[in-house]
Amino acid sequence: MILVDISKCTGCRRCETTCSFFHTGRINTHLARIKVLNLYETGTDSPVVCVQCKERYCVKCPENALRVGNKGQVIVSPTLCTSCGVCEKACPVGAIEIFNKIVYVCDLCGGKPKCVEACTEGAITFEPENIEHISLKDIKKETAKMNPSQKRHFYVKKIGSIARKRRDEAHA
Amino acid sequence: MLKYGYGGRVLRVNLSDRTFFVESLDPAWIKPVIGGRAANTKRLFEELDLECDPLGEKNILIFGTGPLTGSLLPASAYYTVTAKSPLTGILGDSAAGGQFAAEMKQTGFDQIIITGKADKLIYLYVTESDVEFIECSYLTGKTVLETTETIRRDRCDHSIEVAAIGPAGENLVHYAAIVSSGNRVNGRTGMGAVLGSKNLKALAVRGTRSVEVADPLAYLEECRAIEAAILDHSEYQKRYQLGTTMLMTDLNGIGILPTKHFQEGVCSYVDKISGQTLARIYKLKNKACFNCNLHCSRYYVMDDCEAEGPEFETLCSFTSRLGNSDLPFALEMNAYLNQMGLDSISTAEVIGWIMECQEKGLLHPDDLDGLAITWGEVDKIRDIVEKITYRRGIGDKLADGATKLSRSFSEEAQKLVMQVKGLDVICGDPRGIKAYGLTYAIASRGADHLRAEPYFELTNRTEEAKKRFGTEKAAYRMEEEGKAALVTYTEKIALLTDSLTMCKNIGLCMDILNLDNASRLLRAGTGIDYSPEELKKILGEAIHTDYKFNKRLGVRKVDNTLPERFQKEPLEEGPTKGSTVDIHKMVDEYYKLHDWDNQ
Repeated sequence: MILVDISKCTGCRRCETTCSFFHTGRINTHLARIKVLNLYETGTDSPVVCVQCKERYCVKCPENALRVGNKGQVIVSPTLCTSCGVCEKACPVGAIEIFNKIVYVCDLCGGKPKCVEACTEGAITFEPENIEHISLKDIKKETAKMNPSQKRHFYVKKIGSIARKRRDEAHA
Repeated sequence: MLKYGYGGRVLRVNLSDRTFFVESLDPAWIKPVIGGRAANTKRLFEELDLECDPLGEKNILIFGTGPLTGSLLPASAYYTVTAKSPLTGILGDSAAGGQFAAEMKQTGFDQIIITGKADKLIYLYVTESDVEFIECSYLTGKTVLETTETIRRDRCDHSIEVAAIGPAGENLVHYAAIVSSGNRVNGRTGMGAVLGSKNLKALAVRGTRSVEVADPLAYLEECRAIEAAILDHSEYQKRYQLGTTMLMTDLNGIGILPTKHFQEGVCSYVDKISGQTLARIYKLKNKACFNCNLHCSRYYVMDDCEAEGPEFETLCSFTSRLGNSDLPFALEMNAYLNQMGLDSISTAEVIGWIMECQEKGLLHPDDLDGLAITWGEVDKIRDIVEKITYRRGIGDKLADGATKLSRSFSEEAQKLVMQVKGLDVICGDPRGIKAYGLTYAIASRGADHLRAEPYFELTNRTEEAKKRFGTEKAAYRMEEEGKAALVTYTEKIALLTDSLTMCKNIGLCMDILNLDNASRLLRAGTGIDYSPEELKKILGEAIHTDYKFNKRLGVRKVDNTLPERFQKEPLEEGPTKGSTVDIHKMVDEYYKLHDWDNQ
């Protein structure tokens, strides 16, 4: 899975542009499957990408269009998908989103994620053997009524404040 | 039709009757200016009533991006804001990086042209298909971050980018700034005051359009080459760790760090205020502009204050320039100025000028409502900056800028204002960097280094100098020979970076952008063929537009000069000791190279 070290992210969005470019040949935030949030009030920056959560809320698709691949990535069937939006609503962190009737979610670029190559800071790393899937149960409760952008904001703010607390303790 | 690179559309907004109009960008119009700054200047020159009051309804404010903005090109993250300047009364513009430009590009607008004046405080929300005029009295007096956060929260979208003014812009401080991405500042020439005069608190953008290039593979290859050139550059480590704050010790080392308002060029306590100290004690992490792999900006945290920055100019302005050795104070000022929306250079100049005049007995406290201040008095500086922001008490006069303020005092005091064409001199003493001196003198927006950024003269690359500018002396900072030739070259590359809206640190200081790779980038990016010779020609013509613009506003050759101090008073200490600038000779040579008349 792709791991994010929020303390190293500078907010350059190279992961996002690279993702969009290698998947579509164009650059557009909405076409990226990894999306960076820049929270200026605290200087927190972080990409949000599928964390391969334990619960896999998104694959409970009414059309059975989503399944989990053998690298843990989410695979979307373009023929079964009706863009109903259930998966987008289900994801607790806003890592899956529909734009122009197409579902955008991280596919791990078939095993060599381009975003990881683009990051010069080591803020995102790829660990194919890592299967310690985290639970998003608590976050799910809090973000239930939010849109994907708000969910990402909530999530980044949360992990950002944890990272900052840890840093402040170490500093003291 | 402009299909690639460009968004291909221009948005015209009239605030007076709250209407907007979308027109397509004419390929024949844009080709000879490329985009960014050059396109903004051309637009302003064509459409502005040049005699208008800069803070009146008739002034036009343009947000402009370039053909490669928001693309894979590293640091293609700049946008330029252009209008007639309230500070100088001539051409005004200012660029900033961050994330705003890329988002604006994704709305599909290459230029947003703002005219008229709103009757109440409003902000604009621009998307691909719509413009909303939103009344926002609740944002009156709010800081830039509060404004940004409020707009994002209200619209339930945290990817919206906002370029806003703070209280200083609302109060029409003549050097108020526009601030985007929280701490990215269009500082110079008072563009924030123009926004304030139009009752426009902020421009918020959110795009859904894609940025497409004509030949993705060729473009990718060019961008990879530039990325590699950045990572392999000899200054990479230094720039990565310190960013522009590295200049504190660099400039001090060659004796040109403005100290006590340019009275000295060596600062004895530089270690207390250097970029290294900042990085060691207060820096939390690196920050970067859109798609850049240099990550040269920084985020710092102190007990009661945190922000992005400061860049060298702000750091120097509020430390050595004002005789202050208190680094945390400068960091506090950086955050405060960004949030209030003030230009740090012009703010420091007005304070520094008062300090020096009072030291020399040219200004009496009674002239300034009892204000008495000398070097490094941080509490008083803090108090003055607040008064300027709100135009309170004596701050009302100071808010017009040092040049205008000085006019009510003696000629001797007026001579001590470090300004050219009404714009305050940046931090860098031209007595030890002659090509920079020439740049301050000829720059079309007033004393400014970014119009040419002849960083080359600090590199000692003699062979390159001989090849490019005909004399080895162009590579030595103390020489005046060959500097006009150097500046006429670098001003073209500077305009090129501004027009592609790329970063000057990378394009020019690191010497990575040149006419050849720019030509290839433009071909792959936009599908339009520009040969290097053609680029050179059109850049020269665009520089001529600046010249015509200012000439119409009464700027003459004699205005291309430097403050008397730099011409007559040599520095007394340090590696630049004894040197002055023979500016008129260099300006003559520069005019000759441009074939401009001597009027």
